[in-house]
Amino acid sequence: MYEPVPIKAMDIVVCIKQVPDVPSIRMDRQRMTIIREGVESIINPLDCVALEAAFGLRDKEGGRVVVITMGPPQSEQALREGLALGADQAILLSDPLFAGADTLATSHVLARAISKIDPLPDLILCGMHTIDSDTGHVGPQIAEELDLPQVCGVNEIHMDGDSLVVKRLSDGFLETARVTMPALLTVTHALCIVRDLPLASLERAFSKSEIMRWGLEDLGLNADEVGLMGSANRVSRLHPPTPKRQGELVDGDPQALLDRLLRKLEALSILDEQDGNE
Amino acid sequence: MNLEPTMKQSVIRRSVRKFAEDKLAPVTAEMERTGKFPWEIARQMSRLQYFGLEIPSEYGGAGLDSVSCAMVIEEISRVNAAVGLCLSVHNSVSAYPIYRFGNECHKERFLYPLASGEKIGTFCLTEPNAGSDASSLETTGVRDGDEFVLNGNKIFVTNGGISGINLVFAVTPGAGNSKRFNVFVAESERDGLEKGPPEELMGMRGNPICPISFHDCRVPLDNLLGEEGEGLKIALSTLSGGRLGIAAQSLGIAQASLDTSLKYAKERHQFGRPICEFGAIQAFLADMGTRVEAARLLVYRASFLKDQCVDHVKESAMAKLFASELAVDAARMGLQIHGGYGYTKAYPIERFYRDAKVCEIYEGTSEIQRMIISRSLMRQ
Repeated sequence: MYEPVPIKAMDIVVCIKQVPDVPSIRMDRQRMTIIREGVESIINPLDCVALEAAFGLRDKEGGRVVVITMGPPQSEQALREGLALGADQAILLSDPLFAGADTLATSHVLARAISKIDPLPDLILCGMHTIDSDTGHVGPQIAEELDLPQVCGVNEIHMDGDSLVVKRLSDGFLETARVTMPALLTVTHALCIVRDLPLASLERAFSKSEIMRWGLEDLGLNADEVGLMGSANRVSRLHPPTPKRQGELVDGDPQALLDRLLRKLEALSILDEQDGNE
Repeated sequence: MNLEPTMKQSVIRRSVRKFAEDKLAPVTAEMERTGKFPWEIARQMSRLQYFGLEIPSEYGGAGLDSVSCAMVIEEISRVNAAVGLCLSVHNSVSAYPIYRFGNECHKERFLYPLASGEKIGTFCLTEPNAGSDASSLETTGVRDGDEFVLNGNKIFVTNGGISGINLVFAVTPGAGNSKRFNVFVAESERDGLEKGPPEELMGMRGNPICPISFHDCRVPLDNLLGEEGEGLKIALSTLSGGRLGIAAQSLGIAQASLDTSLKYAKERHQFGRPICEFGAIQAFLADMGTRVEAARLLVYRASFLKDQCVDHVKESAMAKLFASELAVDAARMGLQIHGGYGYTKAYPIERFYRDAKVCEIYEGTSEIQRMIISRSLMRQ
């Protein structure tokens, strides 16, 4: 067990993304398109976990939390929600030329913006993946561009002097790592429970707080580094997968069926052997 | 004419809906079964300023506009109408009148604990012989030195069983047969204030609606709200605002009835297909959906007018009338869609059916709303 050690206040940057509320997305099965009407935009749920973790570290050790996003102007709503949840400052990276960016171009813009924040952050937190594109690329790519140590999929964070001790589940193993700061972590749902939004914080977040807005020129980037031109990937088509029903119809004695089901789940690593025997 | 919510209002609606679905929904069945008020949920709501919706932040509230307040009540009521009722009455007809008509001393003593949720508020108007005819109330508040002495009986006090601060409407006899209507703030711990057991009601289980009686209950002169004789004005103004809260609550119940009926109609199969493919069911759903949209427009337009400080007495009455009658109809149609299963407690529609009926009665019956609306129309 790691005993908490008092350290200096931390400057933390949290990268968030405004995404469609995916569970409420419906498919038009006749046109095979996504029905976007009435689908709300939310902060990516794992980014809310990253924010909550940042608040916990700040509230315990002191410091500042800056929330940052790259997106169209309406992404401002996500930033203001981040401010209402407790962030101290918000930065919107928005420019028409940023449109169409893949994860590489997105990471490049975010990394450049983070490098311009004064003072430079001690810690960058990202959600492990988003509920829309689900790549998990942006955090690691930011870390690589900024030459920072990174750990992905963190579910515990402890302070120990000037470094962090973090834990993550990887391929069925629990890994513990010591990371010197500055560093980047991507987080999972297991890390912490996200707070509910206090209504009294909305006034400050929506009326009194300024959002810093940076575009291409503010970041000193060229058009061919960002957006569609700066992307290594092109999305050629977006379509729902063809359903392929896979199943096995069984019958027989209930106890025998139960044993068979448990062995099947163990073979698929959904249950481990010990759980199956209990 | 922009009917879209602002960015802030969208965030409010989504965050309250999330709270209601994640935290309130799991305790609703237990609340229904036991009839007990969910104190742990109330504590969580107080930390989020749900008990000080319209009260400015300098008094510990959230400082929201009326449209946002209606959203909060609607989203909570969509999941649990009894808790929605608690919030509506506490905010609209207990905390808000103190903010509107109280002096700084009242705000210091009463508004902070109400806005923070430390104390729950009530609005004690109805009596055994004074329902719709509020002006015939018989509870008295007689001045005796530097105190008023309250005597009388109030019934059907929403939040009564859990309240800490009570707004009490009483008459102060004057010369001859004259009387002045006054509003007093009576803390629950005052000697002479007695709460009866909660009523066993058809719905709204978990909200301890109970009688409160006053036997020589003494309150300081400072506990008079507003000027002497302003009681009727305060009551009518307060009820107008309270109407919007109940309209929002009713809209929440109606929306919940529609949501659950849509889900059931898609899942239930009869004669080899989902029942949502049958014309009779489609007619129910179309009626429910259309009227929910209409109610939504009425509720939020009336709230918008209140925010603009424009007279909204007629619009509030229309919103309350339409939404409350819709809540009853939507629950009835929804229960019909559910068929036999809807009559069981396995599905929430029966709770919506039981909860909805009182919306046509309290905070001004539908008949009173029609009277208000017609008088307003005839003045035009």
